[in-house]
Amino acid sequence: MNAAQQKLQQGALSIQDVSKIYDPDGTAVEALSHCSLEIAAGEIYMVLGPSGCGKTTLLNAVAGFHPVSSGRILLDGEVLCNDKTPQAQQNSDRMVVFQNGALFPWKTLLDNVSYGPIVQKRLSPKEAREKAEALLREAGLIDISHKYPGEISSGMARRAEIVRALINEPKVLLLDEPYRAMDALTKAIMHENLLKMYELNPVTIFFITHDLEEAVFLGHKVAIMTTRPATVKEVIPIDLPYPRDHRVLSSEPFRLQVQRVKASVRSEAEKAFAAGEKELA
Amino acid sequence: MPDISPSLSNPSLLSRFWFHTRRNISNPHLYLGLLGIACFGFLYYLFTEGWPLPRFEKLPGPVAVFTEWFSPDPMWGISIYSEEYYQHIWASVRRVGIALLIATGLGVPLGLLMGWSKVFKDYSFPVLELLRPIPVLAWVPLAILMFNDTETPVIFLATLASFYITVLNTMLGVESINPNFIRAAACLGSKPHHLFLHVILPGALPFIFTGLQISVGISWFSLVAAEMVSGQYGLGYLILNSYTSVTYETIVIIMMTLGLVGYASSALVRFVGRQLMQWQARALALENR
Repeated sequence: MNAAQQKLQQGALSIQDVSKIYDPDGTAVEALSHCSLEIAAGEIYMVLGPSGCGKTTLLNAVAGFHPVSSGRILLDGEVLCNDKTPQAQQNSDRMVVFQNGALFPWKTLLDNVSYGPIVQKRLSPKEAREKAEALLREAGLIDISHKYPGEISSGMARRAEIVRALINEPKVLLLDEPYRAMDALTKAIMHENLLKMYELNPVTIFFITHDLEEAVFLGHKVAIMTTRPATVKEVIPIDLPYPRDHRVLSSEPFRLQVQRVKASVRSEAEKAFAAGEKELA
Repeated sequence: MPDISPSLSNPSLLSRFWFHTRRNISNPHLYLGLLGIACFGFLYYLFTEGWPLPRFEKLPGPVAVFTEWFSPDPMWGISIYSEEYYQHIWASVRRVGIALLIATGLGVPLGLLMGWSKVFKDYSFPVLELLRPIPVLAWVPLAILMFNDTETPVIFLATLASFYITVLNTMLGVESINPNFIRAAACLGSKPHHLFLHVILPGALPFIFTGLQISVGISWFSLVAAEMVSGQYGLGYLILNSYTSVTYETIVIIMMTLGLVGYASSALVRFVGRQLMQWQARALALENR
């Protein structure tokens, strides 16, 4: 961790014994079963599990999109949700970047990014624009800041969406498989860019993925989830120094870490595949 | 060689207009379309005047119609030189304009509310669905009964059909919005009025304009029917009047005028829609659509 991250006091996320039961047609489906995670302030925490195991369910509970069935979630010691108030308040201290992207298509990148601070009345429209421009420049997006999301590549759109989240100075950034469906080359570029953005704007990152190389490359820690009902199988600290760049990918330590994670996640993936269950959102 | 330097600002209205005009002129679609119209005109001439077919022989042919239409001294009083012609057009255009304004002004807010509030939709949707299938012409007697002048019932009837379409499309527009946009807006700290103004309204806009396109057509349709029943001016009135006074050329002139005015009003709605939804127009342009 660099100096900026060590100074980071905010953004410790504590998920304690969280379960979630869906009851769509009278037959209860358990999506999450007694999940517990301790995420330190400023950590990049990768949540890795087979497709459809219920990772997004966990993210949605943290974001406040739906209630939990039991357990509690704390942010910096303050209760977000527990048995009494099962659904967390949606708030700009936890910013979500969605799986398929949710930039407003009718706003230019600049207007998308400056939207948050303006509606929260944290900045004047002029200040918000200036700050948005500065952040877009940092992310290498300033030349296309007047374009609409429909006019740019999905990689650029995802970067802009992360900038739109970061401008609000959230305590936690919640990323839901943001680089899904991207080719390996683009993904590698996106990963380095994310780490760069993180260096400049350190924040706790809760990152959901089913790509294990992605998990090892980016994360301080990787939590392996079991197949449905999802629970935490194992948390593996990734012992690779930052800053990491693409050269890490071909190094021996990286390969060993990947192997270790793969061994743990493979049996879960096999179980999930054998069960043939429909993926939960 | 087109200018490919990265432009930092969006193109102005005027430059967009020029671009589209230039592109349309250099596009074969335009000429094929004109050729199609010419073919249709030729067949019309052939069957009515050149080599009249049974059933068609009573119809006024294009030569007779155009002679009358462009005559400074028309036999039956209606041509591009007569003031009366424009009075009738204006009467109808004005009514359609008012009808569309009312239908949009009432229909869009109602549709937004129905898409927004599940409870309100539960109350109102069955009513809408029961009223909607009633043909506009079935309302004629009640419309005349309710409004005892000649102008209001016509506008009422032209409003009615457009209103249903506008409500329905606006509601579907709200329901079509990706729920992640609403979640994202909430994350970003939107108050309900922000959500409405920045997400619901622009998100529903493409559907609203699709609805408007349809409702312009429907509005003309019901207007002409209403003008035939009640009214002392307007293109519909003039058609029926020409029929009773046996001036068939005038009927065809008015029909062609309706075609032109209807086309122009649809084009106007499309143009306004494109201006309001540049984000969509540009994304579609990239896909060559």
